[in-house]
Amino acid sequence: MVAFVCNWCTYTGADLAGTSRLTMAPNVRIVRLPCSGRIDPLMVLKAFERGADGVIVSGCHPGDCHYTSGNLHARRRFAIFHDLLQFFGFEEDRLTFSWVSASEGLKWREIVDGAVERVRALGPFEGFRYDRLSHGEPLEIPISTVAPAPAPAGGQA
Amino acid sequence: MKELQELSRSLLADGQVNVVIGWEQGPTGARPVFVTKPEDADRLIFDQRCVHNLAAYLSPRRPNVGKLGKAAIVAKPCDAKAVAGLIRESQIKREDVVVIGVRCGGVLADPASKEALSAETVSERCPGCESREPTLADHVLGDMPPPPPGERRRDARIDELEAMPPAERWAFWQAEFERCVRCNACRQVCPLCTCDRCVTEKTQPLWIESSAHSRGVFAWQLTRAQHHAGRCADCGECDRVCPVDIPLGLLNREVARIVERRFGFEMTDDPAAAEPIGAFRMEDEQEFIR
Amino acid sequence: MTKAITKEALTGLVAELTAAGVRVIAPAKAADGGTDYRAIFTLADAILGGEMPRRSLRAVFQPPTEAVFGWERKGTGIELTPAAAASQPQVVLGARPCDAAGVNVLDKVMGWDYKDDMWFARREATTIISLACAEMAPTCFCDKIGLSADATVGADVLLRPAGEGYTAEALTAKGEAFVSGHARWFSDEPVTADPAPPSREAFPLDKIEEWLEGHFEDALWADLGLRCLGCGACTSICPTCHCFDIVDETDGTAAGTRRRNWDTCQTGLFTVHTSGHNPRADQASRCRQRILHKFEIYPKRFEAVLCTGCGRCVQACPAGVIVPEILDSIAQRANGGAA
Repeated sequence: MVAFVCNWCTYTGADLAGTSRLTMAPNVRIVRLPCSGRIDPLMVLKAFERGADGVIVSGCHPGDCHYTSGNLHARRRFAIFHDLLQFFGFEEDRLTFSWVSASEGLKWREIVDGAVERVRALGPFEGFRYDRLSHGEPLEIPISTVAPAPAPAGGQA
Repeated sequence: MKELQELSRSLLADGQVNVVIGWEQGPTGARPVFVTKPEDADRLIFDQRCVHNLAAYLSPRRPNVGKLGKAAIVAKPCDAKAVAGLIRESQIKREDVVVIGVRCGGVLADPASKEALSAETVSERCPGCESREPTLADHVLGDMPPPPPGERRRDARIDELEAMPPAERWAFWQAEFERCVRCNACRQVCPLCTCDRCVTEKTQPLWIESSAHSRGVFAWQLTRAQHHAGRCADCGECDRVCPVDIPLGLLNREVARIVERRFGFEMTDDPAAAEPIGAFRMEDEQEFIR
Repeated sequence: MTKAITKEALTGLVAELTAAGVRVIAPAKAADGGTDYRAIFTLADAILGGEMPRRSLRAVFQPPTEAVFGWERKGTGIELTPAAAASQPQVVLGARPCDAAGVNVLDKVMGWDYKDDMWFARREATTIISLACAEMAPTCFCDKIGLSADATVGADVLLRPAGEGYTAEALTAKGEAFVSGHARWFSDEPVTADPAPPSREAFPLDKIEEWLEGHFEDALWADLGLRCLGCGACTSICPTCHCFDIVDETDGTAAGTRRRNWDTCQTGLFTVHTSGHNPRADQASRCRQRILHKFEIYPKRFEAVLCTGCGRCVQACPAGVIVPEILDSIAQRANGGAA
């Protein structure tokens, strides 16, 4: 799992969780960005394309942004992104949005444990695996079967 | 139609504009035309086959048209929303274009159709449209028509999709996207796709894979929809051009519903209206954030 | 060798083929109700002689995306995994004659100075059974390109509608082998095919080629460049467009796939240089390229126009750019008439 977090609140909060010696699920790799406003939906998609089973996106609480309003701009983008993913039928529990402040080491643990638990219940993300490293046949002829045929390796989520 | 031809003729003859971008009768149906001489103004038509959104020709991405000089454009209400979008996003200046607004009661799905406007033949985007007359216009022509025939089929379809379990919805979109060949025609025809360099053309890093496999298609279609939130004029050109008939209109409509539901924003042809992206409210809903 | 085959026999033949592991591709209904060339399991799923499949037959031999090879960094070197060269045996049933002709035209460029293995692996594994068209759509202009509703070019076997069934004419060695290999489904009974729709007079393609050669700069191109939106929809449904792009897609930092994807000459990206200079900077030059490639450059090199008159581009164009209209106008100019 990948977590995209802002430098000022969530990253510091995660750091606090670490220095407080809190134990939490070890599945999450953190990618630190200057602000939640810097987190492009494409980064989230890229994580899933590269094999992540779940993603956490986290920044400062509204009103706490180091740059005044980066998180509030981000919130609008995330809202559209979230709703669109829903419309595409993407499993909601694979993507966790949160606000975690620098003093909320305990909340970070809750977010991580909760996200891992939800993703574990869903199992690996296989929505894209269909294509990975398939050379030549049969996927590359996207003229698929009309009658139910043996499903291609991986299948759809 | 006489009105349109005469107005265009005088705009050209007086030197107010160098070109009138409108519609003509082509060999198979209505199609865009660029009238540069007053004597050619008789070629201009406007009827229910004039489905094309000509605002695409005002975009700075079409320097061929720009080189002709100052333009007048014939615009239906939905087209005027796209013109307003171009002005709002500083792609063109208001004073650089003369907008000849035409009153509209819906158009046919197919510009080559010879049938009358009915619930069956009307373009999918028209039923339920409340704009009869553009406000962003220097001239407004035509009689006030009745609203377009038919039901909001698109909204009904979206409601149907939203009622499905997510896995079924995923399967639906995967089956639609499977046909996508990543020709990017949906982007090319969009009047508001004005980026000099599209994110799908970036290779270092490769943000969106250009391949027509499920990863590339999903990333592209999601990004295209996301980038049009609060900007799409719902002219339906992407939906109409798609050579494999992916229902892009459903996506556009869904995005419009999202920005309306969440931010109370509806696309207008007022160039001064603030777009929802690039703005925020402290009290924006955040029920999806933990 | 002309034989006859009934609908029932054709049903049996398709069942026999699919049971033997042969992929049968035919025009069929897609999930959204449109018609595409798709793999079928029973003849009942095929729509023979229905509306034009959206994508041309080219997609069967050159898919929109295909892996060329996979790569993986191993120590200081790189290990390549080639894409599978061989193709599953397949039969295309009910191909449009214009589509079969398109594949045939493309063989020339695919096997020219470099033999394209991926193309020919699929070509060799495939038998094309065309079906003559019973009528021409308003957008069809195969006859004006010198083909016809029952053109044989590129087909291994040509079926012609004959009442409730079809006549079957084997045209190539592969076609002969197919018919004799499945002889029990075909009969020698003499059957008369329904008359094909009449052909109109063809465009003066030689004259058009000559005119194009001398008119690289012409007002015609500027005109076309205005209306054309550069969407490239025409190139993605064309049975003879074949340009591709090569991309590397990575899975992490140590492995990835090199893929071959369809490209289009109708966008600026097609020719833009690293420096930023673009020799085809505007839409007029891109429209010119499309017409020149199809009706001058290709015929010069391969003695065949890169167009089969399927009319898909006429249907697909959102802006009313119409190839037969352009050819008409060039023919007029070539004849000295004012266009």
